[in-house]
Amino acid sequence: MLKRSPLHELHTELGAKFTEFCGYEMPLYYTSIIDEHFTVRRKVGLFDVSHMGNIVITGKDATKLLSISTVEDASRIPPGAGQYTVILKHDGTIIDDTVFLHIDDSYYLVPNAGRDEVVTEWLRKVADEYSFDVSIENKSDSMAIFAVQGPKSREVLQKITEFDVSQLKLFGCAKTVFDGVECIISRTGYTGELGYELQIDTSQDVISLFRKILDAGKDFGIKPIGLGARDSLRLEKCFALAGNEFEGGRSPIEANLSFIINWDHDFIGKAALLKQKEEGIKERLTYLKCIEKGIPRHGDAVEKDGVEIGKVSSGGLSPCLNTGIAMAYVKVEYRKVGDTVEIVSRGRRKIKAEIVKPPFVGKEC
Amino acid sequence: MSEVRDNLRYTKTHEWVEIKEKTARVGITDHAQQELTDIVFVELPEIGKEVKKGEEVCTIESVKSVSEIYAPLSGKITNINKELEDSPEKVNKSPYDEGWLFEMEISNEKEIEELLSPEDYRKLIS
Repeated sequence: MLKRSPLHELHTELGAKFTEFCGYEMPLYYTSIIDEHFTVRRKVGLFDVSHMGNIVITGKDATKLLSISTVEDASRIPPGAGQYTVILKHDGTIIDDTVFLHIDDSYYLVPNAGRDEVVTEWLRKVADEYSFDVSIENKSDSMAIFAVQGPKSREVLQKITEFDVSQLKLFGCAKTVFDGVECIISRTGYTGELGYELQIDTSQDVISLFRKILDAGKDFGIKPIGLGARDSLRLEKCFALAGNEFEGGRSPIEANLSFIINWDHDFIGKAALLKQKEEGIKERLTYLKCIEKGIPRHGDAVEKDGVEIGKVSSGGLSPCLNTGIAMAYVKVEYRKVGDTVEIVSRGRRKIKAEIVKPPFVGKEC
Repeated sequence: MSEVRDNLRYTKTHEWVEIKEKTARVGITDHAQQELTDIVFVELPEIGKEVKKGEEVCTIESVKSVSEIYAPLSGKITNINKELEDSPEKVNKSPYDEGWLFEMEISNEKEIEELLSPEDYRKLIS
């Protein structure tokens, strides 16, 4: 049985076409994926991402637990700030990526859809091992998450709160009230645009708040946005999707996430990563832009002169570039920017593609 | 509501067929284009290719998925809609007119009787 968002009926009313994603039935699109994509890039869009998880860590050793369980030194992140990080196994492979927000004495984690139980269990196991004094609460089933994303997102949200939205820096967060509804606001997102996310306890009227935001955004051209555009938006910016980019066990070095690793603290998986740094890795996430018509998809082989050199982890159409784009794990010796490779579309047709630097789409779109 | 035209025949796999003497023009139905959403790439068959009824002839890719298009009849591909190479969105905007896919010379006219009538197709998608 698929889980549903508390906003399911509202989505139906708004004309959503649904899709199954990680055990949830969520809106794929309302009108058109491409149209929704441009709405977020150029105006503002409202996403229901309640399928994402919510874990709250409190207690005297909460900071210690986060530091040992992620590649971030959590003591560096003061209240009112947040961080994107990954949780590793001892072998250095990623269990999940998550944002954590530090508010008062608590940390609010947003693991991926369907990963909340695995992450909760893992954190409890680590806490036990180290005898940490913490409480870890999985609140995924009682929290809704909205994402308001796009250049007009700040103006839209400011219309319905006394809170000064502009004070939030990237990854900044606070507890506040929107139109009478208590929530956590953070300047985070998955689109590469200015954007905010709201975490709301579903004991409150989440449906009214969703409507209220749509209403506040009317003059700015706001639209509800489905998971289809969420995927194309993140792919253009080269953001990892856990189920794709971490499939089969990948380290943050392989996944090009070295920039989030804080080496100056101890964490689970560190020894394995240091070994990888020293010995080198075989494959690394690589960015491919098609120079022929065709759309790469997850699982397509990447070839150079007829020899397989990698596999596409995420592929699709870039609405902004109007061309196929892909992220692929490619053997490191072939990762030369400017080189041409071939993507074998579903084992049949070859599409020429150029290795490029991330992201596929910058500020202009 | 999706449009089903009375002058066409249909398949269970959501192709439409317009028969003019020995030639059949083929496309996908309004219902199919709505299901596929934004069509971004059409891989057309080669002219001259002989196909059997039910065989895969071309593929249509939308933002989210890939769909195979099957030959509604047996015969030889005689013409393709080259416009779709640069404007695949025509399949969304005009599935029965500008968004046609290919034409074929019918080799076995008996197969025409096996196609669905507009009434049958309406029932199929209702």
